Amino acid sequence: MKGFGSVFTQEWVILKHNPAWWLSLGLLLVLTVLAALNGAARTEQLAGMGGGLNQDEMVTQNALKASVERWEANPEGNPPPAASPGALGMSVLSHYAVLPPTPLASLSIGQTDVQPTYYKVTAHPALTFLNATEIQNPLNVLAGSFDVAFVIVFLLPIFIVALMFDLMSKEKERGTLSLVAAHGVSKTAFILAKGAARALMIFVLLLAVGLAAVVITEPSLADGVLWARFGLWFVTVTLYAFFWFALALFVNALNKPSVTNGIILANLWLVFVVVIPALVNIAATTIYPAPSRVELTTEMREATEIADQEAAESREAYFFDHPELAGEDANADQFYLQVLATDSAVERAVEPLLEEFSLQAERRQGVVDLLQFVSPAIMTQNALNAISGTGSERFADFTAQVLTFHENWRGFFTNRIVKGTQMTAAEFDDIPVFAYEDWTVSDVLSGAAGPVTGLALFVLVLAVWSTRRYSSYPVV
Amino acid sequence: MILTVAGKEFKEIIRDGRIKWSAAILAIMLVAALSTAAQRFADISAERASAQEVVNAQFAAQGEKNPHAAAHYGLYAFKPVTPLSFFDTGISSYTGVSIWLEAHKKNDAEGEPARDTTAIARFGELTAAFTLQMLLPLLVILLAFPAFAGEREAGTLRQVLSMQVSPVQLLFGKALGAMAALAVFIGPILLLGLIGLLIAPGGAAYIGHGVTIVLIYTIYAMIFLFLTLAVSANLKSAQATLVAMVGFWAVSSFVLPRAASDLSRLLYPTPTAVAFDKAVEEAIQSGIDGVSPATRIQQRQEQTLALYDAESVDELPINFQGVIFDLQEKLDNEVFDKFYGDLHNIFEQQTGLHQAFSVGSPRMAVQLASMELSGTSLNHHIDFTEQAEQYRRELIEGMNRDITFNSAAGQADYRAGPELWASVDRFAYDPPPLGAILTRLGPSFMVMFLWLALSIVAGYLASRKVKVTLG
Repeated sequence: MKGFGSVFTQEWVILKHNPAWWLSLGLLLVLTVLAALNGAARTEQLAGMGGGLNQDEMVTQNALKASVERWEANPEGNPPPAASPGALGMSVLSHYAVLPPTPLASLSIGQTDVQPTYYKVTAHPALTFLNATEIQNPLNVLAGSFDVAFVIVFLLPIFIVALMFDLMSKEKERGTLSLVAAHGVSKTAFILAKGAARALMIFVLLLAVGLAAVVITEPSLADGVLWARFGLWFVTVTLYAFFWFALALFVNALNKPSVTNGIILANLWLVFVVVIPALVNIAATTIYPAPSRVELTTEMREATEIADQEAAESREAYFFDHPELAGEDANADQFYLQVLATDSAVERAVEPLLEEFSLQAERRQGVVDLLQFVSPAIMTQNALNAISGTGSERFADFTAQVLTFHENWRGFFTNRIVKGTQMTAAEFDDIPVFAYEDWTVSDVLSGAAGPVTGLALFVLVLAVWSTRRYSSYPVV
Repeated sequence: MILTVAGKEFKEIIRDGRIKWSAAILAIMLVAALSTAAQRFADISAERASAQEVVNAQFAAQGEKNPHAAAHYGLYAFKPVTPLSFFDTGISSYTGVSIWLEAHKKNDAEGEPARDTTAIARFGELTAAFTLQMLLPLLVILLAFPAFAGEREAGTLRQVLSMQVSPVQLLFGKALGAMAALAVFIGPILLLGLIGLLIAPGGAAYIGHGVTIVLIYTIYAMIFLFLTLAVSANLKSAQATLVAMVGFWAVSSFVLPRAASDLSRLLYPTPTAVAFDKAVEEAIQSGIDGVSPATRIQQRQEQTLALYDAESVDELPINFQGVIFDLQEKLDNEVFDKFYGDLHNIFEQQTGLHQAFSVGSPRMAVQLASMELSGTSLNHHIDFTEQAEQYRRELIEGMNRDITFNSAAGQADYRAGPELWASVDRFAYDPPPLGAILTRLGPSFMVMFLWLALSIVAGYLASRKVKVTLG
């Protein structure tokens, strides 16, 4: 490796005085800061909304509790409507199950704009709230978000390619390569030194960029979990950057003119960042398509209609929708018992289809988890989503936890409906409350481990392979 | 002379390997996208049509029940698809595919396909439109970047210019040659696509849309072609031309759409679903103009009693409950009209920002136009939801009218039968005609033609300068 040190020092000085280089790095920094600010605004909005969701529900619940308390203090006449567990669980009360953002959520919006971050849980079948959507312009969702992950996955490679595509070819075209060789500097040492100088600067820049993003987006920096995630984030991003470094080294080793190198690298960018992801996506959705949501709808209606007709035999269907017209003497919980029967009939009918949905989703994720290793861009995006807690897996986990919670919450009311007992004021405090059991750092680690390892392998193989080719690189 | 240059350029491109990889990638993706589109159209259109049939049949097969109970049961409207919806899926992955039409409620479309995809779908869906928007410019750039700069570096520019070829002729000749080469690469695939559209069930009605789409992408290619030629004539080296054009392509195609998306959220925030629903609920409770529904019903009762010269509702020849249902429905609808009107205004402002950003990004202009023509734009989705809502109102009105006139005053156990359910019209979405779509496209067309004109003028001016710098 003769000459590594002197070439490295020389390159460092040249880069330090190269305005185009500083301009590029500055631009990257500015883009990242803008993306971080944007992500922070999105997360803050989300967190603000999530925090306020149950406030109205609690006001309602406390008012109802108070009415029961008043009746308990002075039990005259019929108990208040709030004492009916059916009225509470199936009509008046609901509970928002919220997925809180994790540290670093602002760095990758991920699936946040497609998957629900909260569900309005009631005692009706889960199907009735699982489908709820957030209001947003679909054109905005289609375009995607300008977040830090986008800057890293899409734009960082363009910067690296623009700065690296003529690393060796330019020296040859200028004739400087033969001069260097004449000084007895090994070509491998030469290219590695040139690459290392740039890599070191990009490394420092990414660290600066990452820290800036964290400072911008995180309200509290004294959090060990945050820094553990950041460590993982930084490893991922650095590996991805080094993948493009290694790729540029590899293309330079082909001994083509600079322009050809540029064309090849532009095409490779296209292949890794645009073409392969689109193909992997279509492969996953074609191999394991989602069952038809349309069929789910018709299936659900069929079941509802049959159950309703059965109900109509024992009770006037008309009062089903308008219990207030049934008259004063109607027993509310008798009515809700009937609703319960309909609900469970519908649930039974659609259960196989719903299971098929989650099964297919799991299989689809399996295909993507496997095929992601074809493209470092996919691996990086997946790892960044996992680190920011915005990937498909965490949303699936959230939904699963909500479904379990839904069982508890519903059970609380339906047990009382079935037993025919009324709610006491004290029992209002026992109504279950949802708290998402978030991923631990080791969960995040195992979520990101696959893609990060894949990235590391890519970098290693490319770097070693291309470096070895430089010893035989023709000088002229 | 232009033709001679064009012929030579064409031959060179075909022989030269410089774009063979990009052309191959483009061709493979186009073919893959178009064939999966044909398959998906066949599957999904059959699925939606049969679902609509099933739902209609379910409604018609209801047993005897009160018409208001039938109104609660309601119907579903399924969004139909056209063959072009799969050429460019536009926003359709992010909007629901069916709407439950029931009494008292305007429901949102549900079942967005995006819920059933993994995060990888966000890189972009493989459609022909996506392929053309993303890859076509890069292919054009690779075709054209060495046009002037390359000749200059090779020393052939001086020779060509000395042979009485003006640089302007050179520009148009090279442009023509490149376009011919593109036509050879992509033309057959697009032609096959159009033939596929013609033979697809119901596709023939969209052939005008299809031809316009081909025209739009031709303009798109020409914009990048003349821009690249202009830059190539301006810059000293082919390498600099390549870097500049790829940079422009990346920023305008990838960065600007996302910037527009996030800026529009900041500038024109939409209410959250929870806040929106709460506001609608409150407006329904209190009355949109502050007069409560109870007061309205009281007023209507007095009017009706006066009209029939009756003392109480039980003396009326009609069932006043039906009138109440109908009045509630109309009051609710006023609230829906206001709130959804406001929401759609916000959407329009947001979309307007995308339109404004398209001035800096040919891709955004082309994308907006392409979605509009393919029937997968937000406009089309809103059209569909509004037609479904109109249908819902008529459906519910019919049910309530039956209660009013066909049941006795105060009769709570009234039941209607299958004749009433069968008398309901079927829902059929009526898409806007091509003329209306083209009118909507005005701004996008303007932006595209502006880009085309500017790039041609830039190419022209830059190529004229070529002579001066050499002289």
